[in-house]
Amino acid sequence: MSAATQPVGRRVSPQAAGEFLKNNPIYLAIALLVIVTSVVEPKFLTLNNFDNIVRQFGVLIFAALGMTFVIMAGFLDLSIGGIISLVAVVTVTLIDPIGQGPAILVGLAVGLACGLLNSILIIKSGALTLAESLFITFGMSLVYGAVALMYVQGVTQFLTYSETDISIFEAINSGQIGILSVATVVFLVCLAVLVVIERRTYMGRSVVLTGGNKVAARLAGIPISKTIVMIYAISGLLSAIGAVVLISRVTLADPTMGTPYMTQAILAVVVGGTALIGGRGSVLWTVLGAFLLILLNNCLNLLGVSSYVQFMIWGVVLIVVIWLDAVKEARVSS
Amino acid sequence: MVVASAPEAPSAPEALLHVKDVSKAFPGVKALDRVTLDVRPGRVHGIVGENGAGKSTLMKILSGVYEKDSGEIVFDGNVIDKISPVQSMNLGLSIIYQELNLVNTMTVGENIFLGRFAESGGRAGVHAKAKALLKSIGSKVSTYRQVSELSVSDKQMVEIAKALSFDSKLIIMDEPSSSLTADEMEKLVEIIHDLKSKGIAIIYISHKLDEIFGFCDVVTVMRDGHVIATRDVSSITRNEMISMMVGRTIENEFPPRPDSAGETILEIKSMNTRKLKDVKLTLRKGEILGLVGLVGSGRTELVRALFGADKVDKKSIHLEGKPVQINNPIDAINLGLALVPEDRKLQGLLLGFPVEQNISLAVLARLTEYGFINAKEEAKVSDRQIKALNVRTPSGKTKIRTLSGGNQQKAILGRWLEMSPKVLVLDEPTKGIDVGAKYEIYLLMKKIVEGGGAIILISSELPEVLNMSNRVYTICEGRINGEFDPVTASPDEIMAKAFEFA
Repeated sequence: MSAATQPVGRRVSPQAAGEFLKNNPIYLAIALLVIVTSVVEPKFLTLNNFDNIVRQFGVLIFAALGMTFVIMAGFLDLSIGGIISLVAVVTVTLIDPIGQGPAILVGLAVGLACGLLNSILIIKSGALTLAESLFITFGMSLVYGAVALMYVQGVTQFLTYSETDISIFEAINSGQIGILSVATVVFLVCLAVLVVIERRTYMGRSVVLTGGNKVAARLAGIPISKTIVMIYAISGLLSAIGAVVLISRVTLADPTMGTPYMTQAILAVVVGGTALIGGRGSVLWTVLGAFLLILLNNCLNLLGVSSYVQFMIWGVVLIVVIWLDAVKEARVSS
Repeated sequence: MVVASAPEAPSAPEALLHVKDVSKAFPGVKALDRVTLDVRPGRVHGIVGENGAGKSTLMKILSGVYEKDSGEIVFDGNVIDKISPVQSMNLGLSIIYQELNLVNTMTVGENIFLGRFAESGGRAGVHAKAKALLKSIGSKVSTYRQVSELSVSDKQMVEIAKALSFDSKLIIMDEPSSSLTADEMEKLVEIIHDLKSKGIAIIYISHKLDEIFGFCDVVTVMRDGHVIATRDVSSITRNEMISMMVGRTIENEFPPRPDSAGETILEIKSMNTRKLKDVKLTLRKGEILGLVGLVGSGRTELVRALFGADKVDKKSIHLEGKPVQINNPIDAINLGLALVPEDRKLQGLLLGFPVEQNISLAVLARLTEYGFINAKEEAKVSDRQIKALNVRTPSGKTKIRTLSGGNQQKAILGRWLEMSPKVLVLDEPTKGIDVGAKYEIYLLMKKIVEGGGAIILISSELPEVLNMSNRVYTICEGRINGEFDPVTASPDEIMAKAFEFA
């Protein structure tokens, strides 16, 4: 069916590529948008602009990468909005007392801990279906969001660096490693690690097997619980990385700032072609899905479409994509 | 190849269903090739053939799910060209599918008159009529019960009552026995005889030759989309039928019984769950142990509990003389236990995954070094098992969904054989598999125990258990209540024990 479910290193035949495009018409849309945008704005296809995109949409891309594993395993994580908000306020408020580096580490640890807590709740309550995981993480999203609000009493926290002249946050936002920005390098490293996990490791295989048929995988000795712990931990950690990139850019932390990213992350994963019922997908597809959304956003902004209408367009895109996914699923199973 | 529908005895009544030269092609496959078939009223017409022979396609054309490419179908004087499933039911042609098509959350009465409440006299009328229909086939199921609470056999009764509610002249039954126990089957046979005496024609699709010879009048053998022959059942022998089905001669349905039983390898000293009451069992090395019981007797629960798949209250298991703790399937696998579960599609296969990944599943941990799967080794394992078990697949990369039931089952067996299990549990290993593949699986079982393994075999097909096992336990209401030597014990004796409390 698709070339990307096979291990890397195998040659992709033209037929397989054609079949892949037929299954994922969304990529044609990306190609179209790239062509249109680069004709209108010649600077679009530059490394500089790629850096800009990663900086500007970092949180979406990172959260979507983590979400991909969750969805591939046949679950969902609606708590990432709450996690992003919580990580952001915790990190920013800790800069003064403990310093930037430690603050960032604590922030990442909070994200990881939230993910682990999600997975423990899911396993302990035996909520092993997509719908049950959806409701549990939805509940946890409210909890994390509320903790963030209580922690800062609802007050927006501004990024200040009194201790030193060198700012890690500034470096993340505008620093360069060679020709790439720090944010881009962090993104590429995360992506590479996830791709290797997905394609080559026992962990990655467990994720798709769990999504493919939990019952059969369990009876054949695949550790389902460990897999659940891993996917939610990754989702929490990557959301936290996204949160750090986000606060570096906007230089503030608001206790509700994470809210919109949950929908966008799910959208990016599903637009990329990862099956909503699990068992099939790739973080690479998600990167493309995220770029489609970003391009769409750029185009709509260029066209002067109001942000309210844009929300509606996101919704329509999500429905169309789920519909295409259902059509594809029916075709694959027949 | 001779494609002929031999005319039956001249006294036979006029055909109710007349299928002539019907063909149907799907992309890449000719599913039906000029199929000709006559079904007469008051006859039970068996249709047999291996998976992929075209039986289901033919039925789906008759019921209006598919459209034929060419040929002619006349049913009860009506030429059937394009027809919807509802229209075909109204004409008097009903199909009872293997995976019964009932609405689980509605009552029996509502299901029988689904979509016809108004013209059936509302709630009161529906239940009264449903009750009368059920009574006419000897079923005492309350029409107010919810379908989800019924046994498979009762659900089948409801389907039959539903067919009768349309004044069906022809009822097609698609492998109705695959989920019935022996006594439920007897009930079904009675109903079939009853329907027959009312002049209703029945098409009975089955893999099981016993059923064809038991109560069918006429049999049509199909293979690769062709009708190979239509004969009176009285004029055909078992071996003839099998060789027509598989296109080659199979000397016996079962290979000779293995004779390699040694010392005890597995001992369940006690097993208690909600369903099982202090079950004890011993299994010897080199032995095939049969477990005979009704669906719901606890036979599947027992092997699942042994394998650590379900919650257990209290248990004591000894493997090779030492007490062992099995709390989940991973423990079981590490100890050398293997389970081929009852429901191939839901519990065994990862349908959307390549054959290779389905085979490597149970040894995946062994193929992993420092967290990385050794892809070369994985391909080797898969190729080895595909070859050893003669799994017919274009390659290891092919999606297992596209394989036939028999080949899927062989792939699952390969998954477990790769770990050379000490104890292999087979729960309904040949369900829905054609005769040729069955024989291959029997041979494999024999080879496994002769190589020092041990097998626990659960099957609803008694002949299978009796011909392959060295020893048989009967299980009933969660207890093991009998132990038999299948060579000396009669099938009746064993079944009587298995039904003790039923």
